[in-house]
Amino acid sequence: MSFDDKKHIRGQVLALKSFKKSRQLNCFSDCSTTVSLAFRRCGANMTLAKQTLELWRGTMKEVGGKFGTGVLSYFKFLKWLLMFNIFSFLVNFGFITIPQLIYHPTPDIPAGVSFKGLEILTGAGYFSHTVMYYGGYSNKTQGTGGRSEYNMQLAYFFTVAAYMVLCGAALIYSMASSFRKKYVLADSGLGGAWQLLCSWDFSVTNEKAVRQRKNNLRIQLKESLSEKVQVALLPLTERLKHYGVFLGTWLLSTGMALGCGASVYFLSSSGSLLEEAATLLLPFVVSLINLVVPLFYSLFKKIEHYSNPRMQVYAIIVRNVILKMSILGILCYYWMKDVANTFSCWESIVGQALYRLVIMDFLFIMLGSFFGEFLSNVIGTKCIQSLGVPEFDVARNVLDLIYAQTLAWIGIYFSPLLPVIQIIKFFILFYLKKVSLTQNCQPPRRAGRAAQMQTIFIAILFFPSFVGALSMVAYTVWTLPPSDKCGPFRGLNTTFSAIQIWMDDLNRVDAFQWTVWIYQHVIRSEIFYFLISLIILVFIYIFRQITQGRQLLITLLRQQIVNVSSGELSGLTCLVHQSCCVRSGCVYVMMLLKCWNNIFS
Amino acid sequence: MGTTASQLRKDLLSEYQELTFLTKQEIILAHKRFSELLSKEDRNVPTPRVPMEKVLSLPELKSNPFRKRICHVFSTSDMKDGSLTFEDFLDLLSAFSDSATLEIKSHYAFRIFDFDDDGTLDGGDLEKLVNCLTGETDDTRLTTEEMRQLISNILEESDIDKDGTVNLSEFQHVISRSPDFVSSFKIVL
Repeated sequence: MSFDDKKHIRGQVLALKSFKKSRQLNCFSDCSTTVSLAFRRCGANMTLAKQTLELWRGTMKEVGGKFGTGVLSYFKFLKWLLMFNIFSFLVNFGFITIPQLIYHPTPDIPAGVSFKGLEILTGAGYFSHTVMYYGGYSNKTQGTGGRSEYNMQLAYFFTVAAYMVLCGAALIYSMASSFRKKYVLADSGLGGAWQLLCSWDFSVTNEKAVRQRKNNLRIQLKESLSEKVQVALLPLTERLKHYGVFLGTWLLSTGMALGCGASVYFLSSSGSLLEEAATLLLPFVVSLINLVVPLFYSLFKKIEHYSNPRMQVYAIIVRNVILKMSILGILCYYWMKDVANTFSCWESIVGQALYRLVIMDFLFIMLGSFFGEFLSNVIGTKCIQSLGVPEFDVARNVLDLIYAQTLAWIGIYFSPLLPVIQIIKFFILFYLKKVSLTQNCQPPRRAGRAAQMQTIFIAILFFPSFVGALSMVAYTVWTLPPSDKCGPFRGLNTTFSAIQIWMDDLNRVDAFQWTVWIYQHVIRSEIFYFLISLIILVFIYIFRQITQGRQLLITLLRQQIVNVSSGELSGLTCLVHQSCCVRSGCVYVMMLLKCWNNIFS
Repeated sequence: MGTTASQLRKDLLSEYQELTFLTKQEIILAHKRFSELLSKEDRNVPTPRVPMEKVLSLPELKSNPFRKRICHVFSTSDMKDGSLTFEDFLDLLSAFSDSATLEIKSHYAFRIFDFDDDGTLDGGDLEKLVNCLTGETDDTRLTTEEMRQLISNILEESDIDKDGTVNLSEFQHVISRSPDFVSSFKIVL
């Protein structure tokens, strides 16, 4: 529709509206139209405000124009994680730190401890007595001298719990919508020709980039043609050999991951945690393992022969995730079993260990950027010409981001101000990666399936990363006894008993009996969770049956289109014949209804 | 058009905002860029037209393989020369904007890919499409055999009613299963 037609229609609509207006001199309808117009204008203004306030919009457009949507997805992911951390900082600072600072403005630092420069790296020393860590918060209900009461224990617990719940909800929502849009509705065929043609990136403006993309597209089209022509059946011995190689590499990679985990455990339990400079050794080793072992994994590419290059990427991702999560798992196990029993103010010690891991991870990402991109560029262009300019490895970088965010999520309970460090880290990382990208890398050669990779990354962010962090914090809150000399929960059996005490207090007041009832019969009763799980399972089963029925219906309708267009009058008989072959109950019913309709219409 | 070359009237601005997917800021920016393309005599004409060559000098369109087709599709000129008025230009930006829906984008993508403007994508259109995207010179094109194979693969994938051409509904069906389409069919000034 051309612009003139649109203006014409709009003119007619406005004329109709003003005609109606002149007929009904009704105050109410006049009011309601003004209100709805005001709402629409407000909505438009809000979108405008959102766009102007949007962080890094110009930079992301520039990166997207030159490198395409695959690389851009890394930067969008980084921005999204930054939002999580900003929200966490605001919530923690507002509800936990500010009350603490109001009532105890100066931290009580024991004599003899002063600020040396080493604290920035180790997080111990001067910092360990400030509000940076769990130990710096008092357990008293603040409220002396006429000011209103502020229960620090409840505030701490509910702030952390609310943040985790909101994070979980946001992750589940984005994962589900991403899954629906990009996985289920997407074509499951291997690199179909239409996918390649329709995914031409119109936002690429750089001439050289466009030429390169055309080149890459041609190569990919040729590859997809040869894939279809090739006969896929290999002889049995070849296939057995491939499976043997797969088994070997997977066993080797899992074994390496577990071996690294065990060595980290021995290192942490043998070293002394109290000498400041020596405490940096553990994070250093962890980050070194995270940097070096994935390079080793990428060597396996030369031996394995996956039928589909996408499976190769998935294999690399799964191996890296297993490595990183097993190391983190071993560290969490160590903290919860050994550190919790040995040290007096153990939550602060764990917070400091996490701080060191975060800082060391940051330093190593910078080093990795230097070696991975800058040096590869120099080697590729000057020394070994055949290697060429490196590509930006989106998968590896996104997994680094996920690892960093896991550390931040675990640290929410032990170190409420850790999000500040994370925010600074992500800010610097954005600009660092952007500079490194534009100076050292070339646009990617394969038109990767950026949308599906994004779904996988969000799924990995939810499943091992967030769920792991949540379960660790939940285990700490539920079963571990808090340290009795520092922190807001000192003196209690478990952190959760603070809620129990609060419920007992509420029980004495008549007005809040319903809250106590909900607490006792819903939150603490096992039957409730059992019933909920059962109902959810039944719903899942029903929806799955419906989905299967619909898929069958789609196949039948497609067949019907072909039959109708080729002129066969087989509609009714075809459906009746096929309905006899259908097993699923609801599709059979639908087919019958269609038949009745056709007969009686 | 506005009264002066540098200002857009407020009522026109709100009218454009209602008729397109663009925000106020984007419309103002588009107006500014469009005015830069006008020559001195054209500025005082009530609805100036910018010839196709000048439109193609915009950096966002310069390297686009479909630049000529885009101009032809959005042009309302009687002489079919691909020249654009400001409203055609806004139409273009609106179809390629962030907030345009999938139906709009797939509709315009179909019209852009339909090189002979006959309402369906037949073998000739598909061949021209592939050539646009792979290269113009002889050594960068696909061979005849490969082209034939590729076109038959495409038709097999998307031609549901098996009539040898891809019509709008079939095209939209294929597009709806391609999750990268919406994010890549975008031109932002």
